[in-house]
Amino acid sequence: MLELKGLSKHFGGVRAVDGLDLRVTQGEVFGLIGPNGSGKSTVVNLVCGLFPVTAGQVLLRNEDITSLASHVRVACGVTRTFQNIRLFDRLSVWQNLWVAQNAVEHRSEGFLRRWLGGPGRAREEIDRILEFSDLSGKRDELAGNLAFGEQRRLELARAVVAKPALLLLDEPAAGMNAEEIDQLDARIRKLKQDGLTVLLIEHHMELVMAVTDRIAVLNFGQKIAEGTPDEVQTNRLVQEAYLGVAEAA
Amino acid sequence: MDFYLGLAQIVGVHTLLGLSAYCVLLTGQVSLAQAGFFAIGAYVAAMLTVLAGWHILPAIAAASFVAGVVACAVGFPALRVKGLMLVVATLAFGEAVRLFFFNFDYQVARGEVKIGPAGGEGFRQIRFFPEHGWSTLDVLLFIWLFVALVMAALWWMDRSRAGAVLRAVGEDEVAAQSAGINVTAVKVAAMTVGGLIAGLGGGIFAHYTAHIEHAQFGVALATFAIAYPILGGLSSVFGTLIAVIFVQGFLIEGLRFLGDWRNLLFGGLILLAMNVRPRGLIDAATIAGIKRLRIRNREPGNARTQGAE
Repeated sequence: MLELKGLSKHFGGVRAVDGLDLRVTQGEVFGLIGPNGSGKSTVVNLVCGLFPVTAGQVLLRNEDITSLASHVRVACGVTRTFQNIRLFDRLSVWQNLWVAQNAVEHRSEGFLRRWLGGPGRAREEIDRILEFSDLSGKRDELAGNLAFGEQRRLELARAVVAKPALLLLDEPAAGMNAEEIDQLDARIRKLKQDGLTVLLIEHHMELVMAVTDRIAVLNFGQKIAEGTPDEVQTNRLVQEAYLGVAEAA
Repeated sequence: MDFYLGLAQIVGVHTLLGLSAYCVLLTGQVSLAQAGFFAIGAYVAAMLTVLAGWHILPAIAAASFVAGVVACAVGFPALRVKGLMLVVATLAFGEAVRLFFFNFDYQVARGEVKIGPAGGEGFRQIRFFPEHGWSTLDVLLFIWLFVALVMAALWWMDRSRAGAVLRAVGEDEVAAQSAGINVTAVKVAAMTVGGLIAGLGGGIFAHYTAHIEHAQFGVALATFAIAYPILGGLSSVFGTLIAVIFVQGFLIEGLRFLGDWRNLLFGGLILLAMNVRPRGLIDAATIAGIKRLRIRNREPGNARTQGAE
C-alpha cells in the first residue's frame, strides 16, 4: 500500500528523517513510534505532501506520489489528522465534514451541483460518519465550541469522510482520557475492518501495542527496529532508545 | 429628494465594491486591488458605451468580464505571497492600474468634440443615462437591481459548499489542503469573482457619475473597499451593506454639518465601531439571534434547523 524508499528530509543541518525505508501493507495498522523529535511527524508530513522531500520516494500502491500536491494525494486516498488539532473552528461540525468530501467519487458530481447545490447526497454519508464518531448530537455546533475529545473525534471524522485508503493518524490519543482512548481503539479497529490501512503515530504505548499489527521505531530520523509489537517490545535497542530498560530488582 | 437618491446610488455602488472585497476576504486574503478592478470596469464600460455605442447592459457585462480576467491573472502570482506581502503586492497593482489610466489617452473626434479617456484630465461625457432619458430614479433602480442580484448570489454561495470551502481556506490553509481542498484554485476563484463584482460596480459607477478620472481610484477607495466587509463582519453579506450605509450614509453624509470636524470624527467612530463590535457590525451572534427569532415565530414542529444553514 505505502512504500517509503530512502526517504530523507533535512531542515538546514538537521536530518529530521534520514534514509527511511518502510513498507506498509494493505489493510494493516502500522505503528510508528520513537522519542520526541525522532522524525515521526515529519514522516506524516512527507507522506501527505505538506513538505517537499529532500531525497527519496513515496509510493502509494506502487505509484510514485512524491511530487504530488497535498490535495491531490487526498484524492489518491491519503488523509491525515494533526497532532495539534486543526479544525475549521468557525464552521459547524457538519460543514467541517462537508468541505472535506473530496474523494474521487465526490469529484465526479457535476460542478454546479457539487459547489453550489445543497447538501443532497452528502448528507446521508456525513450523518453516518457523525454517528460513527459519536457526534450526531453536535452537528450544528461550531467546531471551535466543542470539547477537546469531541474535537479529536471530529478531526478523525474529517479524515475519514474523504474515503481514504491510507489514514495517517498523528498522535490521535494525545490529551485523551482512558475511556476516550478505549473508544479510539475501537474506532481504529472498525476502520481496519472496513479495509483501511492506518499509519499510527502515538506515544500511548498501551494503545499502540493493542491495536497495531506491526511497528517501526524511529530514532534521530532513522529506523532502529521493525516488527510485531512483541518483537519491538523486547528489542534491546528500542528499550534503550525509547521504551526504557526495566531495572533489575 | 435628489440628495437621498444620489446617496442611495453611492451606497449601492459602494456595496458592490465592498462585496467584491468580501469574497476575497472570506479566503483570508486582504486585497487592496479591488479599486484597480473597479477602475478597469469603469473605463471598459464607459469606452464601450461612449466610443463603441453599446447599450449599457452588454457594456457592464463586458467590463465585469474583463475585470474578472485581470483579477484571475493577478491572482496567480499575487497569491504566492501572504499577509502583509499580499497587501503590498495588491496595493502596487492598484496603483499601477491608476497610473495606467493617468497616462491612458484614447480620444476620438466626433464632429467638433473629442471624446474618450484623456489621460490625467479623465474621461468626460459618459452620457448614456441622460441620452436615453433615464431619470435619477431609473438609475437608482438599475443600480440596486444589480446589488440585489449580487447579494442574492453571494448569499446563496455562502450557504452552499463553495461558501464553506472559502471559509475553510480562510481559517486554516494547511488543514484545508490536508482535507483535499485545492487552496490555490479556491483563492484564485475568489479573487476572480471579486474582480467580476468590482468590474460590474465600476461599470455602473462610470455611468452615474458621467465623469471618471484616475484620482477616484486611488488608495482611499481601495481602503474603503476592504474596510466595508471588515467593519460589517464576515458572517453575512448583509454586514457589508450595513457597513456601507454606516460609512457613506452616516459618517460621510450624516455628519457633513460638522464641517472640518467630520474628518476627525470619521476615523474615531470607525475605531469605536470596531471596538464595540470587534467581529463586525453583523456577527455570528447577531445572526444566531435573528435565527432564534425566526424559529420562535415558526411552529414548534418545524423548529429543527438544518446543518447547511
